[in-house]
Parts: sequence; structure tokens; C-alpha cells
Amino acid sequence: MLPGLPASAADRLLPPHLPGRFFAAAVLFHLAAWLLLLGAGPDALLGFTGGPGPVAAALHLLTLGTLGMSALGAALQMLPVVTNRALAHPTAARWLFVLYAPGVALLGLGLTRPLPGVRMMGGAMTGLGLALFAAMVIHHLLQVSGMQALRRHLALALAALVGLVLLGLGLLADFSAGWFDNHRAVAAAHAVLAGYGFMGMLAFGFSTVLIPMFVLGPAIPETAARRSVWLAAPALGCGVIGLLGGSGALTAIGALFGLAAVVVHLLALAGSVRRRMRRRLEPFFRLVWLSWAMLLLSLVLGLALALGAPADPWAVLWGLALVPGWLLSFVLAILQRILPFLAAMHSATDGRPPVLPSRLETPWATTLHSIAHASALALITAGLLAGLVWPLWLGLAAGAIGAVAFTLYAAGVPWRLSRFRAALAASAQG
Amino acid sequence: MSDPPVSSLLDVRPLLARGIDPYETVMAAAAAVPSGGVLRLDVPFNPVPLRRALAREGFSSHAQRQAVDFWQVTFLRDGAEGWEQRTEAEILPEGAMQWQEEDGFHLDVRRLPPPEPLRVILRLVEALNGVGRVVVHHDRDPVFLAPELAERGWAIVRVDQAMAEIRLCLEPERR
Repeated sequence: MLPGLPASAADRLLPPHLPGRFFAAAVLFHLAAWLLLLGAGPDALLGFTGGPGPVAAALHLLTLGTLGMSALGAALQMLPVVTNRALAHPTAARWLFVLYAPGVALLGLGLTRPLPGVRMMGGAMTGLGLALFAAMVIHHLLQVSGMQALRRHLALALAALVGLVLLGLGLLADFSAGWFDNHRAVAAAHAVLAGYGFMGMLAFGFSTVLIPMFVLGPAIPETAARRSVWLAAPALGCGVIGLLGGSGALTAIGALFGLAAVVVHLLALAGSVRRRMRRRLEPFFRLVWLSWAMLLLSLVLGLALALGAPADPWAVLWGLALVPGWLLSFVLAILQRILPFLAAMHSATDGRPPVLPSRLETPWATTLHSIAHASALALITAGLLAGLVWPLWLGLAAGAIGAVAFTLYAAGVPWRLSRFRAALAASAQG
Repeated sequence: MSDPPVSSLLDVRPLLARGIDPYETVMAAAAAVPSGGVLRLDVPFNPVPLRRALAREGFSSHAQRQAVDFWQVTFLRDGAEGWEQRTEAEILPEGAMQWQEEDGFHLDVRRLPPPEPLRVILRLVEALNGVGRVVVHHDRDPVFLAPELAERGWAIVRVDQAMAEIRLCLEPERR
């Protein structure tokens, strides 16, 4: 390569198996979480007030497992591409997986069964993995210039990560040690930092790149991206301090800042979608619309809770809107779109054109997943509001069916790619 | 009528050979040229985007090929009125430049934020309706372009790392 030139595509793309194993683990944790919830049944959901058990385990399999694994895999793949510089230490990605994936599995096991040692071991490994991830991202961002909007979002996400890991480890220890006077308030602050801070800011940052790219819309204006970060920072600060300090008014101010940040962010994205080149929005966008609606709803519910709405059932509904509603819908939408696309990118070898991404998709599986996922959210919400068991059963079953459909979709991508390669090899020999 | 005096001479070939983008150097030299003065540039190719950029600063330009990889471009600071009509390049809404040469349509998408290069390239490809060739002047090897092109029946047939740019040659796939 000539000096002064940017890294080539081959330099910037990680070997497909590296991000691939993160995405595969994310899909399996998603399946495991829904099966665990289905196995625990509606009573576990109706009586959930926090603490270890299958609901907390499923929640962490979804957040740390599906959302975290996807975020790590996507960040490792996308950061070198959007910043135009190869990862300095790609082998660190292997260590990240070795630490993080078993850590999440152990944490899930330790939360399901009364195994405090396994739980702490899992939490520590997960925390170490996230610390390694933060170090990799910081090191990478220090080497590049430009992409200011993405850099600001990532910086805020990493700041939130520090807080959520510290609170998370404290909460795990508190199950045995009883350190905190108000365990539920600390858990809520931990959830705010995780859902809106770390995962939320990663989703905001990568949305400004990915959504315009997927719909072929114009780039998001720098000013809109900057404003959303400047509004999100006080939102997180007020929300967390308000929860930890027991101030509903401060938490409510945080929710209002959060709503303003989300409105600025969504208006900018909607503007790009409106002026897109791609006439027909692809099926994955159904989940994106759903995730945006759930994000707004989660903040409205959070505001209501801060202003004194009863925790039963509004706290669980807030968690439902935040995790499976906003974050899971968004992440699964992005995975649905990006898995065949990444596989197609890596399929271009020996000067041959890549396989068409659309040939690697299984449309019935994504349709079934989208319907099942939305039905699960609606039925579980109805069951919690009405205090009825049968909608919860149906909702949990729909979630599990959706997870199976998504697993089949994800597994179909490498399977179809291998068939394409086999056909290519056969035609070359013939 | 005698030619105006040359105010500044600049050979950017050594910079390009070292992989350094000479854009800032040329713009600084151009800023020092008085009204009615001339900046002469030695370059290895016809720098159409640069000519467009300097037209916005009031420079008319004339390029002459001296050898296979040696062009001499004369910039005259005369206000550049009517230069837009005389030039061969068109500025697209996103800021990309498009012009036609013997080997096909050329698109300069350097310095555009993502995903604007992708939009500009795909729009031209779709407009060409499966016929012709597009040469893209890019500042990066675009990772997401190949699958999008494949969906439209086009392919990247060649990638050249030229001086301070990556040049992609796109053609309809021969299936």
C-alpha cells in the first residue's frame, strides 16, 4: 500500500469468523432467554420484584448476551470500516470473546440457580470483557480523526459502561452481602446506564451511520447528532443521580432530557429515511419502526414512574418497553439486515462478484420472527396490565417461536453461502 | 496580447508520489495569487475536481497533457465567470463531481461523508441501466459497495491504488 493511503477493505474487514462468532452467540443467547422464560412460566413474570431467578437470568441473557454480543461484534466490524483504519490488535477480539461469552453464560446460570460463586465469576468475566472492549475502542478512537458524531456517542456509551459495570458488580455482591439500602433503586440506575447509556448510545451512534446506509438516505447532519448527545448526557446524569439519591423530580428531569434527545435523534433519522433512494423499505425496517416507538414509550413510562406511578405493574412494563421493546427490536432488525450483507461482502473472492445478499436470506423466517416478536410484546404487556396468566403464556410462547425463527434465519445465512460456494466450485470444475 | 505573468509554479508530483494529498498545499498557493495572476501546476493527471474547487475561488483553468503521466494546468485568477459552462465536470447535489472521459463516466466522491459516496455511485449505476463503465475516485476502498452493486447487476472489475486516491472501475456483470 502507498504511504498516506487509507487501509484497504481487506485490512479493515475482520476475518468473517471473528464477528460471526459474536453474532452467533447473540442469536443463541436470544433463544436461551426466551426458552428460559417460557420454562419459568407466567408466575415468574407476575411475581417478579427483582433479585436472582429465571427472569433476572433471562434479562441478562438478553442484555449482556444478545444486545452486548451484537454490539461488540458490530462495533469490532463497523469501527474500522467507518473510521477507515484497521483494528490495531485484532487478536484482542478473540480474547474478548473468550472472556465475555462464557462470562455471560456463567452469569445466566448463576442467576437461574442459587450459585453465588458462579454468578460472581460470570459477572467478573463479563466485566473484564467489557473493560477490554472499552480499551480497544478508546485505543482505536485515539488513532483516528473525523466521525465526530460517532465518537461523541461512543464516548458517552463508554462512560455509561464504567458506571453500569461498577453498579452491576455491586448488585451481584449485594445479593449475598446486603450492602444497599435500596437494591431496586440501584438496579434501576444500573438499567438506565445499560439500556439508555451504554447500549442506547451505541445504538444512537451506529444508527447515524447504518440507517442512512441501509435505506440509501442522506447522511445525518452533524448538528443533529451533536445535539442528541448533549441532551443525552444530562439525561443520563440526572436519571442516575435521581434514582440513587431518591429524587423523583431529578429522575423526571432526566426522563425529559432523554425524551428531547430521542426526538432530536429520531427526527434526524426520519429525515434521512424520508429522502432515501431505496423506494421500498426492506422487511427489517418493521422492527426498526417498532423499536423507535418502544424507545419513546419506555421514556414516557420512566417519566411516569419518576413522578410516582406504582411500581406494580409499571416498572416491569418499563423494563419490557426498554429491553425487548426498544433495544432487542432494534438489534434484531440490524442483525437481520447485516448478517446476509456481511456474508455477501466476504463471499467476493478471486475477483468474482459477491453472492447477492438477498439470496442468503430466508424471508419466511424474518416475517415469522417479526410477527411473533411484536405479538410477544403485546401479549405480555396485556397480561401484566390485566394480571392474567393466559396472555402471558401466549406471549412467552410467541417470544420463543420468534427466537426459533430468528435462529433458523441466522443459521440459514452460512448454510446458503456454503451452497453458493459449492455451486461455484462445481461450475469452475465443470 | 501577451500572457499574464506566472505568479506561482507548483510541482505536486513529488508530494503525490509520497502518498500526500496536495490539496491544502495547492489551495494555500492559490490564495497567494493576486487578481489577474497565474498559478501553474505540474500534476500526473488532469485534476478536474481541483479545477472545480479553484473555480469557486475565481480561477479559470486550462489543462494540457505533456506526457502520459504529466499534465500542466494553468490557473488564471480572472473571476472564473462562465467557467461552469466551459468545464467538463458537473457538481452533484451531494458535492460529488461527475464528468465523462474516453473510458467512461468519472465520479469523484472523495471527502464526502458516508453514505453519500454509496448513494452517488448507485444513482449513476442505476441511471446507466446496465450499459457503460464508471470510474470512481474514492478516498477509501468502499466495503459496502460490492453487495449493493451485485444486487444491481454490476461489479467492481478493478481497484487501483492511485496517488492519494483509490480508483474503482465498475462495469455491468457479464453473466
